[in-house]
Amino acid sequence: MTTAVESFRTSLAAIVGESHVDSEPTACAAMAVGGSVPQYVVAPHTAETVAAVLKFAADCDLAVIPRGSGTKLSIGSPPRRYDLALSLKELNHVRHYEPADLTTSVEAGMKLGDFQDFLGGDGLWLPLDPVGGTRASIGGILATNSAGPLRLRFGSPRDMVLGIKVATTEGKLIKSGGRVVKNVAGYDLCKLLVGSYGTLGVIVEASFKLFPRPATRATWVLEPGTLGLARDLRRRILNSPLEPLCMFLLNSEASILLRNGPHSGEGQGLELWLEVGGSPKILERHARDLAEMGRSMGVPSRQLNEQAAESCRLRLGNYEQLFAGSFPDVMVLRATLPIAGSEEFLSFAQQVAEGEEVKIASFAQVGLGIVHLGLWGVKLGTAASRLVTNTRKAAASLGGALVVEQYPNGFKAEPDVWGPRGDHWEAMRRLKAEWDPKGVLSPGRFVGGL
Amino acid sequence: MLYEYDGLSSLRPPDVVVFPRTTEHVVQVVKFAARHKLLVVPRGAGTGLSGGSLPCQGGILIVFSRMKAILEIDIENQRARVQPGVVNLDLSLAVSDDGYYFAPDPSSQKACTLGGNVAENAGGPHTLLYGVTTNHVLGLEVVLPSGEVIHTGGKVWDAPGYDLTGLFVGSEGTLGIVTEITVRLTRKAETVATMLAVYDRVIDATRTVAAITARGITPAALEMIDGFTLRAIEEATHAGYPMDSGAVLLIEVEGLREAVEENASQIEAVCQENRARQIRRAKSAEERDLLWKGRKNAFGALGRISPSYYVQDGVIPRTRLPEMLEFIGQVGTKYGVKIGNIFHAGDGNLHPIILFDRRDADESRRVLEAAQEILAKCIDMGGSITGEHGVGMEKINLMPLLFSADDLDMMRKIKGVFNPEGLFNPGKVFPTSKMCGELRIEAGVGGVL
Repeated sequence: MTTAVESFRTSLAAIVGESHVDSEPTACAAMAVGGSVPQYVVAPHTAETVAAVLKFAADCDLAVIPRGSGTKLSIGSPPRRYDLALSLKELNHVRHYEPADLTTSVEAGMKLGDFQDFLGGDGLWLPLDPVGGTRASIGGILATNSAGPLRLRFGSPRDMVLGIKVATTEGKLIKSGGRVVKNVAGYDLCKLLVGSYGTLGVIVEASFKLFPRPATRATWVLEPGTLGLARDLRRRILNSPLEPLCMFLLNSEASILLRNGPHSGEGQGLELWLEVGGSPKILERHARDLAEMGRSMGVPSRQLNEQAAESCRLRLGNYEQLFAGSFPDVMVLRATLPIAGSEEFLSFAQQVAEGEEVKIASFAQVGLGIVHLGLWGVKLGTAASRLVTNTRKAAASLGGALVVEQYPNGFKAEPDVWGPRGDHWEAMRRLKAEWDPKGVLSPGRFVGGL
Repeated sequence: MLYEYDGLSSLRPPDVVVFPRTTEHVVQVVKFAARHKLLVVPRGAGTGLSGGSLPCQGGILIVFSRMKAILEIDIENQRARVQPGVVNLDLSLAVSDDGYYFAPDPSSQKACTLGGNVAENAGGPHTLLYGVTTNHVLGLEVVLPSGEVIHTGGKVWDAPGYDLTGLFVGSEGTLGIVTEITVRLTRKAETVATMLAVYDRVIDATRTVAAITARGITPAALEMIDGFTLRAIEEATHAGYPMDSGAVLLIEVEGLREAVEENASQIEAVCQENRARQIRRAKSAEERDLLWKGRKNAFGALGRISPSYYVQDGVIPRTRLPEMLEFIGQVGTKYGVKIGNIFHAGDGNLHPIILFDRRDADESRRVLEAAQEILAKCIDMGGSITGEHGVGMEKINLMPLLFSADDLDMMRKIKGVFNPEGLFNPGKVFPTSKMCGELRIEAGVGGVL
């Protein structure tokens, strides 16, 4: 170990305690991001020490990547540099809980699953099903504004967060918002920090509004057969009074993955999954209306048994693990589109994939215009770049955007995994410079190299 | 002269008022202002209640009354693109035949503009279920103080990059001037049930609110009106509120027929458990409109019985409502002022209305003191000084009670990024030693909330 490394290590230990710093190669290797391995893993156990570590890092020009459970660190460009993995895992307490007021404050490192278990005792939940599923941390969910299919009914983390506490590179803890459900005092820094991918400050605690867990849930599967019919069905459902918790369209590869895990049998063509929650009467009404819609459109529909639905939900939440385990070379693209553009985009993506001879699994939240594509068998080099460029062009022509969320080692996205800079990028750059003047927080990982 | 007022009034009138029709007009005005270091204040309809649109240090007032085009309605994508001068209710009316509406519904929605809604992150009775303005705005076109035009977000969710749209909404015109807004449209519910629960005592009404929340029922709207206020309303609007009651709750649930039926009967049970003396359900759209007419015209009604009034906007946890309403009563007694309450109870968003006569200097002073004491209590309870009206210039001195010096410092840095010379909407949001002279709390007779 070099003297400089040892000296930084000693200083970090003085801030957080000897047992909260690790510089062993295996521990550091486990924290790798985009092929870069840090020299230190620091896991502070208080918000104050998170701030102190950040200040130290800024003073010594050490590049920091904050992490919760690490389920979404594949998103973003490879870091320009990376010295210190800042783990929030020890900040995992519920700080405030007012079930009668449907509000709570929780530390950033708490895993969503643990938090849901805690809330479940009172029949409450945070209705989020982000990438990483139950393993995802609260801080990571906020930093990436990660929301799964439940977003259709409940919105994204951005809509549920009431307040945040953030550690800055100046070593300060600042807050925005509060614990009440309505609040317009001061600038809304929650919005700025949510979805900032750890490039402005480190969220150490957040307050949320809570929701009652639906008494029962049920899942229906409709098989529209063609994208045209899928579009008509989506229109019918969105214009009906029905209030599904979530709705997503799977191609056959995606439905195989979801239902059985990888490499297990034939797909059955397009499937539109709808999940509904509430009392038996509400479920009956949905069953009746969905069956009627299916009949009138010639689309077969059936209810999934709840056990099968639950295991599919788990797989969906952990899809990045499902891919990583089975298809290490997977590329995941996420398109955000006007709602009406989803099916057309899917059709285009299917053609591009066929042209490049790659396999494609598509998960499309058609009620929101959010489409995830898993592609495997992608040849690195020009073929991969062409694939990204062409699908991005298709998204843009429909009025949307496309982000490369996961890529095989060795993939070089040109020009950027995030896509082009908008005319607001200069304002973003100036904001970044105020929050992180030394450029030590997740350097180079965000849009346009921020 | 007219533009010296919104819900508040200031001492210094604008030096010049301009009425742009296009973004380019705004750019030219802003560039001119930048060259000559002139102050710029944007203004919609002037229905705000915190002084956000008042040109308190003079300068150029940009009034958006001629930028009121609905640029695009896109029903399949559930979006609309509008100029900032579009009146809130006009947008809902424009998409009504398609079965959609714009969910945030401030009580001034017949007059207030979407640009103003964005600036203040406006709320309204139905934001309890649907969220406030920020939850319904996806994209903005903004003119910065340099004259540069930027576009944030758009029709789609999660445009890559920092959520500048979310930062601009509620920034009260201190970061940039919004010239175009992309909003989300909401599908109208299948069924609506509107109920009026009548109580002899305020405390039972507030307990009902806490109990509804604790059961996890989220009505679309849950409003409370105390006896004093509802008598003033009833005399003015004949909404059918019982004159002899201590308080009423106006409760609305909406959604799928089956869900509405279940929620409505659960709510009725909670009301009964908490000693409601009567629960009425509107039987027709006309009855429903009448119940809401009373609520929405409350401020005009109070104007009939008092020369001046001062409306507050504090927020508290809903579990603390019974305690808070009692406290507000005590504050009224202590300062010898009459305080009515009509507010978004389901959100814990209070609107105590302090009645006074502004010609009485001593009473005016007592009103301010009473108001400060109520807001300090909100902060004590873990709440906020404003739920939907904004800080404006009215509450800048309370900001240090809510935020640390470090919190405010970070907000100032953000302001510096966009508005480094402070030319846009000076004297708002941040505490300053240079106050806009004395703030005269002579909020309007007939002012709207």
